[in-house]
Amino acid sequence: MNENRRQILEMLAAGKITADEAERLIAALESGPATTVGEHSSSTAGANGSMGATVKTRAKYLRVLVEADQEMTGLNGPTSVNVRVPMQLLRAGVRLASLIPAQAHNQFDEALNRHGVPLTLSQIKPENLEELIDHLDDLTVDVNGSDCNKTKVRVFCE
Amino acid sequence: MTPNFAVIGIETPHWHTPRLWLPLFLLWIPVTLLSPLIFLVMVAMAIACRMTIWRIIAIFWGILSGLPGTHVHVRADGNQVLVRIL
Repeated sequence: MNENRRQILEMLAAGKITADEAERLIAALESGPATTVGEHSSSTAGANGSMGATVKTRAKYLRVLVEADQEMTGLNGPTSVNVRVPMQLLRAGVRLASLIPAQAHNQFDEALNRHGVPLTLSQIKPENLEELIDHLDDLTVDVNGSDCNKTKVRVFCE
Repeated sequence: MTPNFAVIGIETPHWHTPRLWLPLFLLWIPVTLLSPLIFLVMVAMAIACRMTIWRIIAIFWGILSGLPGTHVHVRADGNQVLVRIL
C-alpha cells in the first residue's frame, strides 16, 4: 500500500474525513500519481465542518526564467533564458552526489572554503539533500530590477 | 520512462535549422551492443566508490528516467537555442 493511500485511510479511521471524501481522495490519487495528501491547497471540509483532508499536487518541474534587456547585457536584442528541470532529475542528481569518493570531499571542502562557502560536504547526507529537494515545492524567487534595469529573474516550481 | 525524443532547434540571425527530432530510443541499440562494456565500467565505478553495482545502476537509471520534460530555451544576441527532451 502506498503512503498516500495509507494516510487517507488513517484519516478516515480517525474520523477526520467521511467515507465519501476518502473515496474522492483515492480516486484523485489514482488519476494523478503526483498527488499527495496531508499538505496544503484545495482542501475539503470534513463531516463535522472542520478541515478534514487536504490534497496538493506536487510540483513536477523547477522553472527558471531570466529576462534581460540589451542595456544590461550589452547584446543586441533582449536576452532570455527559460529552463525547466524535472524534479525527478534533481532528485537523481542529488543521489549522484553520493558517488563522489570520500577522498574527494576534502578537496571540495577546501575549494568551497577558498571561494567563501564554508561547507563541509561530508556532513551533507543524501537524505538531507532529498529533503531539501522535497521542500523546493514551496520555493518562489522573484527578482525585478529597479529603475532602468529591467532584468527579471523568476525561479519557481510548477 | 526513459527519454524517447530530443527536440533541438538552433537559430541565428543568418540561418536557422528546422527543429530536429532526434529519436533517442534508437540509442538503445548501441547501448545494448555495448552493454558488457558499460557493465564493466559500472563495476569499476562501484569498486572505486565502494558502493554496490545495483546502487550505481539505480542512480544512472534515475537520471535517465528523470530526463523527459527537460526544456532549455536560451535567446541572446539574436540567437536562439532550444533543447527539449520528451
